[in-house]
Amino acid sequence: MIWHYLIRRLFLLSFVFFALTCFAFSLGHLFPGDPLVNFSGISQPDDELLPVLVQQYRLDDGYLQQYIAFLQRILQGDWGLSLASQQPVLFELTQVFPATLELVAYALLISFVLGVPLGLLAAIKASHWSGRVISTIALLGYSLPIFWWALLMIMLFSIGLGWFPTSGRISVLYEIPSVTGFMLPDILLSGQTYWQAAFQDAIRHLWLPAFVLATYPTTVMIRFTRDAMLNVWQQSYIKTARAKGLSRSQVLYRHGLRNAMLPVMRQLGLQFSTLVTLAMISELIFSWPGIGLWLLDSISQRNYPAIQGGLLVISSLVILVNILMDVLHTLFNPLARKQANG
Amino acid sequence: MAKFQWLYHKTEHGPLSQLWASFRQQHSAVIGLMLFGFFALIALFGPVLTPYDPYLQNPDALLLPPSWDDMGDVRYLLGTDDLGRDQLSRLIKGASYTFGIALITALGAMFLGLLLGVLAGMSKGFRASAFNHVLDLALTIPSLLLAIIIVAILGPGLINTIWAIMLALLPHFVHGVRNTILQQLEQEYVIAYRLDGANNWQILRYVIFPNTWEQLTVLFSMALSTAILDIAALGFLGLGAQAPAAEWGLMVADALDLIYLSPWSIALPGLLIFIAVLSVNLVSDGLRTAVRKRQES
Repeated sequence: MIWHYLIRRLFLLSFVFFALTCFAFSLGHLFPGDPLVNFSGISQPDDELLPVLVQQYRLDDGYLQQYIAFLQRILQGDWGLSLASQQPVLFELTQVFPATLELVAYALLISFVLGVPLGLLAAIKASHWSGRVISTIALLGYSLPIFWWALLMIMLFSIGLGWFPTSGRISVLYEIPSVTGFMLPDILLSGQTYWQAAFQDAIRHLWLPAFVLATYPTTVMIRFTRDAMLNVWQQSYIKTARAKGLSRSQVLYRHGLRNAMLPVMRQLGLQFSTLVTLAMISELIFSWPGIGLWLLDSISQRNYPAIQGGLLVISSLVILVNILMDVLHTLFNPLARKQANG
Repeated sequence: MAKFQWLYHKTEHGPLSQLWASFRQQHSAVIGLMLFGFFALIALFGPVLTPYDPYLQNPDALLLPPSWDDMGDVRYLLGTDDLGRDQLSRLIKGASYTFGIALITALGAMFLGLLLGVLAGMSKGFRASAFNHVLDLALTIPSLLLAIIIVAILGPGLINTIWAIMLALLPHFVHGVRNTILQQLEQEYVIAYRLDGANNWQILRYVIFPNTWEQLTVLFSMALSTAILDIAALGFLGLGAQAPAAEWGLMVADALDLIYLSPWSIALPGLLIFIAVLSVNLVSDGLRTAVRKRQES
């Protein structure tokens, strides 16, 4: 049954979360300095606070009790204070995390819109010049070091042509209250008189980072769509469909694309962690106030509670996307469903 | 005639020469291999080839453009940086850092991954399942994040990033080796060999290993391109190689303040990273195609 499979995935998910929290917990002891400071983020607890904290974090007890106390704090939302700003880590995370999600989402959208049709074209015209050009571009894009690519784009479009701004999410002229944390919906919700100008400005800020970040997933999408399509095109059910008299486009859409997208979807889940890595680097270059920039700042400030929190959030996101893609792949693919049950 | 093609098909060649024959037919892959060899030679003999000491500062020649520019100086072929250090020498030296160390890191990850992958592939039941789950976890932590955490524990530096990247590459090798071994274990010739009385070690040594090296080279080439990109990225972020090392990523970061004054000092190191990764990817693609063709024939 499919339920059996879902329950197994759920079990896997809980195991991975368990291991992840273990890892995050052990970091508190592995980082240089006092574990108490690393967990709480209070750099100099005074004499009154010290016994309370030791009691609360159960630092006099064994590691197991400490871990249980850690888990309870995580679930209650007490993730410690940031050593740099003395703000709660969880609060800061909710401020920066949507910006990253926004950037990644637009990059993925671009990669879908561009990558899948181009990959299809490259597969259908595999020996035609257009197919070769697309494959070559995909290979070139796959090899680009993102920080260099981002700088080249800045040199060309911002410094050279002056089309796009180089940093930030929106010009400081516009004051947009944070409701959802996502910039474009926030502007629409803000109800300010200048919302149209602000919207355009946000789009102008978004173009360059989203395009740079989209380069890698787009090329991955082209490559995998092309490979999967070439593979599917040789299957006998395609020949059957052609023999039944379906037109080329019907075969392509109903039998080709649907089957070819399955392995692509799976790969997307596996490539997601690379995408997050690249997002962190492009956030640094474009001063995009997301979790990557926040985390890279935290490391130069030796802000251990923040690093711990960032690890938990980013890894959880990647795990969730991975497992979601895996489940979707199984739900959509009868063959994988059979394998999962058998 | 196609019917009789097998009569003309040369089968006396070993798998290695068959692989080479189909690899050689792909021009892009051969070009990639030549570039790869070029980078490997420079990484190895870099210290002998540099026209100047890469760390020697010349206060009389700051920020010279490349020699073909009107302002350039022919003594400094690719110009100098803001401290008057020769760009060409630094770029050559950088090949040993970025390319050479990536090579060593990927090799180390391959050996460790082979070991763990064999353990994972040959074990059964609870142990195998526990192993898979740990592997799934390791695959989900982005490599840069893992490197950041390791650097946070150990402190920044080139040696620590080598460990970090090795650790980040490891799961891909373990995963790949394990899948190949599981695939091989299902083959009938393995069962036949087992019926002959072979133990696990003999099966591994005489049946599985000879059938996995192709997969291993493909995995290695893919890991190598990741390793180059990661070392350069960490150098760029200031977490990897530290100044004044002539690591390519670090050189890009150093030149950031000079983006208006000397754009070529950003463009050149980045271009080298790009070409190095491209050459590895070309070889990798060629290898994969060649392996597939050989296995199909």
